[in-house]
Amino acid sequence: MSRYLCIACEVFARPLYSIAATSPNVIDIQLMQRSLHDEPSRMRPKLQKKIDFMEDRGYEAVLLGYGLCGSGTMGLQARNIPIVIPRVHDCIAMLLGSPKRYDEEFEKTPGTYWYSQDFAERADETNRFASLGPISDEGLAKQYEAFLTHYGRENADYLMETLGSWQKRYERAAFIDMGLLTPNGYKDSLGNEADRRGWTFEMLAGDLLLLRGLLNGDWAHKDPKNYIVIPPGHTLDITYDKHIFRCTPG
Amino acid sequence: MEKIVKEIYNAVVNGNASTVKILVQEALDGGVDLESLLNEGMIAPMKEVGELFESGEYFVPEMLISARAMQSGMILLRPVLFSKDIKPLGKVVIGTVKGDLHDIGKNLVSMMLEGAGFEMIDLGTDVAPEKFLEAIQQHKPDIVGISALLTTTMSNMEKTLRFFEENNVRDQVKVMLGGAPVTQNFADSIGADGYAPDANQAALLARQLVGAV
Repeated sequence: MSRYLCIACEVFARPLYSIAATSPNVIDIQLMQRSLHDEPSRMRPKLQKKIDFMEDRGYEAVLLGYGLCGSGTMGLQARNIPIVIPRVHDCIAMLLGSPKRYDEEFEKTPGTYWYSQDFAERADETNRFASLGPISDEGLAKQYEAFLTHYGRENADYLMETLGSWQKRYERAAFIDMGLLTPNGYKDSLGNEADRRGWTFEMLAGDLLLLRGLLNGDWAHKDPKNYIVIPPGHTLDITYDKHIFRCTPG
Repeated sequence: MEKIVKEIYNAVVNGNASTVKILVQEALDGGVDLESLLNEGMIAPMKEVGELFESGEYFVPEMLISARAMQSGMILLRPVLFSKDIKPLGKVVIGTVKGDLHDIGKNLVSMMLEGAGFEMIDLGTDVAPEKFLEAIQQHKPDIVGISALLTTTMSNMEKTLRFFEENNVRDQVKVMLGGAPVTQNFADSIGADGYAPDANQAALLARQLVGAV
């Protein structure tokens, strides 16, 4: 039995609580707001501060429920205890259980909006249909109002068109079902929303493998290739290949 | 500078597309010197827009609006320049890397480069290495610009460069990279010729790459 501190994005809340409840290890979970991803450059200092604040409370390691997250975790430093992080780009691969499966889905339909139970439950009304991934369309209407005030209607329309044109190439909504509870009404409303916007809608079964391995300590022996362990005195760096991460001293 | 060129300059900086369009047509009808119209009426104001962006006075929306105003003039000016054999600063093929559908930044860069005097060939989004190659062979550009928003698609930038090498065109073009997760380190590590963190820097870099600075 080990004592771990898990610092994770709130999009993993239910899976992490569920795994922690039956884990052989003792795990404290600290959730961070998902909006950290909106500005990856601000994510690292916030995570580092949290790690530094919590790490000297008798834990053997800090387990990060994060991936590369738009480079938001790059540069994190392990000071006194190791930090463990799954080798994934983001929450989509984590929820699907492997980067390989994400690649297959991406290959099939690159323009996919991804959704999950926790993500939906932790959204407010203004961004209910914002999806997992790199861009949130939070506050779109507010933005239009601001453009209208500053630049007039013609330019405001042009800006919305230009800044939103990538969305025309998105064609699928995919709900990742982690199998923990029957998806609530959100699944139906997402299906309807997808219909309305002309997207296809798919339910994909999620896989707890990576999150379970993180909490249960599989990274130590059983499954080291899917995780990177940053030893004390080392920093997390990017490799730009399938390994995603490496450690550098310092 | 002629008065009308100065007015065009101001209308571009202020992002007034319809005014630019009317004034450029007037200038063309009135026989205004074409090089002056291009350099002082289109390129110079975009340079100022770039400087306003650098100094934090302009943000992406202002840049887009000015670029659009410039483009509304270029649509009229370009065929005339072409007919008089006035050459652009260079030719640039641009696109988002294979797998990446996100093109806000790429579009802005494309407009800023056009505003810096380049002829742009925009291949759009999700551009396969083969498509870049075809464009290089067809258009003989000086520069190829490739962007990525997702960290998952960044590795395709390297694949694209290797593909250029395998097909013996890598030394015919300068390659510049951009996009939110891209860094100078990454660009260096895969052997690109340059990286720019934003659209204004991209325009400056492109000028450097063709030796126009």
